[in-house]
Amino acid sequence: MAALPMAAERRAPVLTVTDLRTHFHTRDGVVRAVDGVSLSLERGETLGVVGESGCGKSVTALSIMRLVPPAAGRIVAGSIRFDDTELLTLSAAAMRAIRGNRISMIFQEPMSSLNPVMSVGRQIAETVALHQNLSRRAALDRAIEMLSLVKIPEARRRATEYPHQLSGGMRQRVMIAIAMACTPTILIADEPTTALDVTIQAQILDLMLEMKERTGAAVMLITHDLGVIAETAQRVIVMYAGRKVEEAPVEALFAHPRHPYTRGLMTSIPRLNRAAAESGESQRLTEIPGVVPSLIGVDVGCTFAPRCPYASEQCRAAFPPEVEAAPGHFVACWNAGSLPEMIRA
Amino acid sequence: MTAAATTLPAADASPSRARFVAFVRRHPTVAAGTVLLLLIVIASIAAPWLGTVDPISINPSHRLRDPSAEHWFGTDRFGRDLYSRVMYGGRVSLLVGLSVAALATLIGLAIGLVSGYLRAVDAVVMRVMDGMMAIPAIMLAIALIALSKASIAIVIVAVALPEVPRVVRLVRSIVLTLREQPYIEAATAIGTSVPRILLRHLLPNALPPLVVQATYICASAVLIEAALSFLGAGTPPEIPSWGNIMAEARAYFQLKPWMVLIPGVFLAVTVLSINLVGDGLRDMLDPRLARRM
Repeated sequence: MAALPMAAERRAPVLTVTDLRTHFHTRDGVVRAVDGVSLSLERGETLGVVGESGCGKSVTALSIMRLVPPAAGRIVAGSIRFDDTELLTLSAAAMRAIRGNRISMIFQEPMSSLNPVMSVGRQIAETVALHQNLSRRAALDRAIEMLSLVKIPEARRRATEYPHQLSGGMRQRVMIAIAMACTPTILIADEPTTALDVTIQAQILDLMLEMKERTGAAVMLITHDLGVIAETAQRVIVMYAGRKVEEAPVEALFAHPRHPYTRGLMTSIPRLNRAAAESGESQRLTEIPGVVPSLIGVDVGCTFAPRCPYASEQCRAAFPPEVEAAPGHFVACWNAGSLPEMIRA
Repeated sequence: MTAAATTLPAADASPSRARFVAFVRRHPTVAAGTVLLLLIVIASIAAPWLGTVDPISINPSHRLRDPSAEHWFGTDRFGRDLYSRVMYGGRVSLLVGLSVAALATLIGLAIGLVSGYLRAVDAVVMRVMDGMMAIPAIMLAIALIALSKASIAIVIVAVALPEVPRVVRLVRSIVLTLREQPYIEAATAIGTSVPRILLRHLLPNALPPLVVQATYICASAVLIEAALSFLGAGTPPEIPSWGNIMAEARAYFQLKPWMVLIPGVFLAVTVLSINLVGDGLRDMLDPRLARRM
């Protein structure tokens, strides 16, 4: 695992999201998909974002890209600063110049994120041609170069093939090639390995990290897989019901999870534990009771309280403020200080 | 390498020929349709050199002749050579069919793409299209022709306009399903502008069904032109078209049925071959199907 950057060493963040609120106006009411999320991303770091489905992880990413579906979704408040640019007030044309060029995104579905009637070489070349003044020929050469960088054998031949001729892992490699073709400053990966076989997942993650090292891009890795986070991220944000509930350096988070939700996530992962297995006592997997609330309407108190074993009257009365429990370790929980020590084998 | 070279000499010698044979074997109907259509197109273009005489020269002493060595299909009531008229008539039918298909498809495509992608435009445009669809195609065409003097250009516009809403609906429905596809979102995510998404991502995906639709329009335009000419509202009578040949001959149907049947058979075969070609084009334009050929 990479060494922790000391607080003093921290460089100016390349992306700063402040109090982002993205709401969806539906027939049933206003869905507060993202409700006051703040985060920052430093140059060259990998930030993991975890949470169950429906926690607002993807909407946060789409908000940063300004790709929230315009029919229902709207960013109602907050600020997203990229370098010195405020993205939320940028014109559509200026935003297009940033997308794919300085901030790019990898989607979850490699099967359907590629245009079926365009050869993969052309799809990569398209991105390059959009943002860099290159001839068709040069853009295609760059596409072939990118294909070999993402370790697709026989790149020149593969470039002429169509998405349906490639396997899922190959397609995700092509998506990475598209995302990295213009050497972006930020790469947002929205569950990039969820749709892939376990054996391919590790390869794709390795490839992403290698491409990140090569270009120095900052990565925002969205996933619900804590294992992926543990292996790749330097810092982690845990989201629940549209809010950030915990933020910590990755070692600190795994060593001392301070939010009950984070603990719940951790105890619901199976662990290989030889000592426990040999002594005959097996640990049961625990689950977090209940589901993520619907996020419709105004709620009072902590959104996790209905599922939280430690919930008190205070929890049901007001949402807890974010406090710095340890250097760089933020948590939003009234009981964070008084929770029993988590026993981890 | 050497093994492959020695075992596959025939395929290496003429891969295009081998592919052609494979194509004919797999799609015999398409191949037949293409050959038929080509024959009709060539015959129409080469009409002056195919033993025809002037199709509008009147010869009263040779009125209503039966087919003979001199007049292969006989003559009509003005003594005009029916074979020549049918050959030249193909020009009008094909010109109208192809022009209408091109015109209706292009207009419909432009409207459909924009309408499908931009919701604000959609609401207005689709109501106009619904209104146009409520009027029967032939009635609308007759009305348009009645407003101006008869010429082939007017016929083309008059037949094309009623077809536009059908194309718009088709393109719009394709765009509506395609725009929700993740790769359109992915294209937006790399900074692609709306016109570029329409032309580079949506249009190629919409093309296969559109080409098929265009051939159906072409076929139906050939029929509508014939119907209009038959009703006397289409091609000016001095220009031979299959429709007005049949219209003039219908009075003699019981005496000389071939006068109606021959242009009728040409019309039917043309329409059939266009439809067969359309199905073939659909298979070829779709890369997913093309690779399997």
